[in-house]
Amino acid sequence: MSLKSSPPECRPNRRDALAALAIALAALVIALIYYIPAETASLQVSVSVDGRVEEFAPLSRYAGVHTYSHNGYTLTVSCDGATVQVVSANCPGQDCVHTGAVSKAGQSIVCLPARIVIRLSGGAADLTVG
Amino acid sequence: MRRFWAIALSCVLLLLSGCGAAAPEELTLFAMDTYMTLTACGDGAKDALEEAAQRINALEQLFSRTREDSDVSRLNRQGSASLHPETAELLALSLSCAEATGGAFDVTVAPLVSLWNVTGDTPRVPAREEIDALMPLVGVEHLHLDGTSASLDEGCAVDLGGIAKGYASDQVAAIFAARGIRSGAVSLGGNVYVCGTRPDGTPWRVAVQDPQGAGYACILSLQDTFAVTSGAYQRNFTAPDGTVYHHILDPATGAPAQSDLLSVTVLGASGSVADAYSTALFVMGQRQAEAFWRAQGGFSLVLITADGRVRCTPDLSEQLTLSEDTSYVLEVISP
Repeated sequence: MSLKSSPPECRPNRRDALAALAIALAALVIALIYYIPAETASLQVSVSVDGRVEEFAPLSRYAGVHTYSHNGYTLTVSCDGATVQVVSANCPGQDCVHTGAVSKAGQSIVCLPARIVIRLSGGAADLTVG
Repeated sequence: MRRFWAIALSCVLLLLSGCGAAAPEELTLFAMDTYMTLTACGDGAKDALEEAAQRINALEQLFSRTREDSDVSRLNRQGSASLHPETAELLALSLSCAEATGGAFDVTVAPLVSLWNVTGDTPRVPAREEIDALMPLVGVEHLHLDGTSASLDEGCAVDLGGIAKGYASDQVAAIFAARGIRSGAVSLGGNVYVCGTRPDGTPWRVAVQDPQGAGYACILSLQDTFAVTSGAYQRNFTAPDGTVYHHILDPATGAPAQSDLLSVTVLGASGSVADAYSTALFVMGQRQAEAFWRAQGGFSLVLITADGRVRCTPDLSEQLTLSEDTSYVLEVISP
């Protein structure tokens, strides 16, 4: 029994090695995109009014004062780039104001009468209990 | 040419390999006087979420105290009613939770809830005489349940607000299981259920709100469990004299519970029980809550005390990480 050697055109050469390396690198990049720890991702803020997303931005770019109105209620939202809070609202319960500042992923501020929700995502937690 | 096809085929396989983790489906809704987010991954996720939302809305129709045609409203208004089996089931579970907690969880506090109206539009501090006048109406001995028929003693009423969202999370979990969802996370106004693991196979990261600050007190790595927190910080109002009154009423005093705890998080296999127990254990305070856990078992606990400690049951010690930017001290509750 004898081993047949591969024809010369089928043997891997330097170009094949480079192609394999490129594919491996591409796989690594895709893996990093999928599995990079969420802690390193930046916080995003989303503001939805009656279920419709009105604002979605990195928290750092959301800095400033914003107002949102719905159902006859108006919320004034302040963001310093690291935390966000409802500083005033004309809703009856004031739960949104009492929530205070939020700064972490998974946290949210909800104004039920106005149906306005401010949510943070993209950080160390998937969701918040409490 | 052969090399070109080899590379092209490799690229296609590479791209296909990323399709295993489909993007999670998310659904949000306002129901049960709160905001809810539901996330599920995998085949049938969208259908599962839609069924879950329909289920939650249907349960609200039964359990709401503010909808005139709900089972609970009919019972409270008429004094007796024939109930939907699920309402009867939840009332029966409420009775057993009341018995287990020695009355610290009690759905018959409804008249007091209305009196204080902490979560309503016009909260107020009632006079002691007003509270005392209602105290005889509080106690599960005033609720009589016989199969799907229920009756209340005169003037009494029930409020399922302390257990209904937990029950709803149980139902969402059942829908996920029936539809083969293996990865999902649900927050029904802070009542959390996590199904399986995250899409990447790691446990879900559930943060416990810092009752005193803007961030988290700690983060729990969880899978296939329910987690519910009760805390004085969640809903409250400030009286004209500056005193802050919260929404968790102590059935024994008729007033907001004077607890040495800032929050109680209960984790376990039942959302309903976790919901009821979190309220009850907040009312009990630290020592009694821990004694209850030792005696009862079957659930896990994270207590945040007013003097700055995070106390967890031993089974959670490996799953709990204190938040880096808090000053809380972590302690493990002795078995």
